[in-house]
Amino acid sequence: MTQPCIYLDYAASTPVDPRVAEAMIECLKAADTHGNPSSMGHEFGRKARALVEKARAQVANAIGAQPQAIVWTSGATESNNLALFGAAQLHADKGRHIVSSKTEHKAVLDPLKQLERQGFTVTYLKPQSNGIVAPEQVAEALRPDTVLVSLMHVNNEIGVIQDVGAVGRLCRERGILFHVDAAQSIGKVDVDVEAMHIDLLSMTAHKVYGPKGIGALYVRRNPPLALRPLLFGGGQEGGLRSGTLPTHQIVGMGAAFALAAAEREADTARLRVLRERLWRGIQEVGQVDLNGDPEQRVANVLNVSFHGVEGESLQFALRELAVSTGAACSSGSDEGSYVLRALGRNDQLAQSSLRFSLGRFTTEADIDAAIAAVQREVPRLREIAKLSS
Amino acid sequence: MSDPAYSNVVTEHFDRPRNVGVLATAPDVISGRAGSREQGAEFRLTARVAEDRIVEARFQVFGCPHCVAAGSILTDTLVGKDLAFLRTWSWRELASQLELPTTKRGRFLILEDAVRAMADDWARRF
Repeated sequence: MTQPCIYLDYAASTPVDPRVAEAMIECLKAADTHGNPSSMGHEFGRKARALVEKARAQVANAIGAQPQAIVWTSGATESNNLALFGAAQLHADKGRHIVSSKTEHKAVLDPLKQLERQGFTVTYLKPQSNGIVAPEQVAEALRPDTVLVSLMHVNNEIGVIQDVGAVGRLCRERGILFHVDAAQSIGKVDVDVEAMHIDLLSMTAHKVYGPKGIGALYVRRNPPLALRPLLFGGGQEGGLRSGTLPTHQIVGMGAAFALAAAEREADTARLRVLRERLWRGIQEVGQVDLNGDPEQRVANVLNVSFHGVEGESLQFALRELAVSTGAACSSGSDEGSYVLRALGRNDQLAQSSLRFSLGRFTTEADIDAAIAAVQREVPRLREIAKLSS
Repeated sequence: MSDPAYSNVVTEHFDRPRNVGVLATAPDVISGRAGSREQGAEFRLTARVAEDRIVEARFQVFGCPHCVAAGSILTDTLVGKDLAFLRTWSWRELASQLELPTTKRGRFLILEDAVRAMADDWARRF
């Protein structure tokens, strides 16, 4: 890399907060925390277990849950898999119909496709053109044999916030399990599993300034919800997730979630101002569309479609900015983002869309540099691509 | 900044493309157009002809960085060339020069179509 690259891809992953890194390093360096957290017969194991339980309380606190309801996993993908397969397969005797949406992350859509192969039926709701799935749409899709509803809280590509509280209420009234993929919402919006009537909630550390490779699933405890595990072995995590607990990773996730809870309001207030500054600057090039609802959205994500430019050229021209075209997970194909297409954008416009996602370490100077790059490159590319008749 | 997806030649011509634009319609200006946004690339070529030779050429393209670089290099190459050159020009040498990924070959075939369309225009008018 010969020139500095400005990181505006926080929705893909965040840098580890130095305070989180410090807590993890302390855990790794300590002379007495390397025991297996399940080895309660000696002091080393008990020390490690204490760190794990402290972190469990920190994660639980960030979502208004009891610590016992938190199950450690390797990340949101595993949490989603455990929630969907675990709930659907164990409760299949009650019905085999699931409701979700077309704009879920692949880590929900692909497990659902697999469940379809296993005989489940899935209704994929098409959101409105603002990216929001109306709770009434969910209500209308429910059937007597519906056992599970899975809806993401904050969309990873466009940042819109679904009304999971309203959906949770109508699921609870009907005795239907409700799973929420909250990978993008911790530290950005309020999450309260009790108030929102959520039965299962997927989380990850690496989008909240924690380390990669660690996540958690909230599993309702009152009344207790049974799941079928994906992994079998030592029976850790109440048998729901076998495998030795990675103490330092868990410590990192706990520290990250504690910071997210403590600093959410200050972070979001600052980021909202920066995002609006970026949006105003981008709008000056004209012929741009904001993707997703302008109000019901997180403070740090801005997804913009640029008319009159080709997507790949746009991304290469703006290579001094680390941004995403569509979702980072699905980029690399020529196909426009399935989320934007579900919102009604045509293929070409979906390809010419960029997701700018800001975070804790984004500065005003970063935003001004991004604006300058967009204002320089977009008109230049439009000139090349004009093809006037 | 280097990017493994694009060679230095592509990067150079993408950042500083030569001959972008369109020559105004005139008796000595020929043009060719091919492709569509749906196909992944749309090219428009125009060139001025004098004494059976191209004296200047311009391009516009809605396409990827490889397509932009291709338009830039091709329009440089066209200066001094005759109708026979347009009739026989093939995308392959340029594809090799630009290390074109095989998945993008269709886009350079579109460019070849635009060159042929310009040749047809030349043959019709002179």
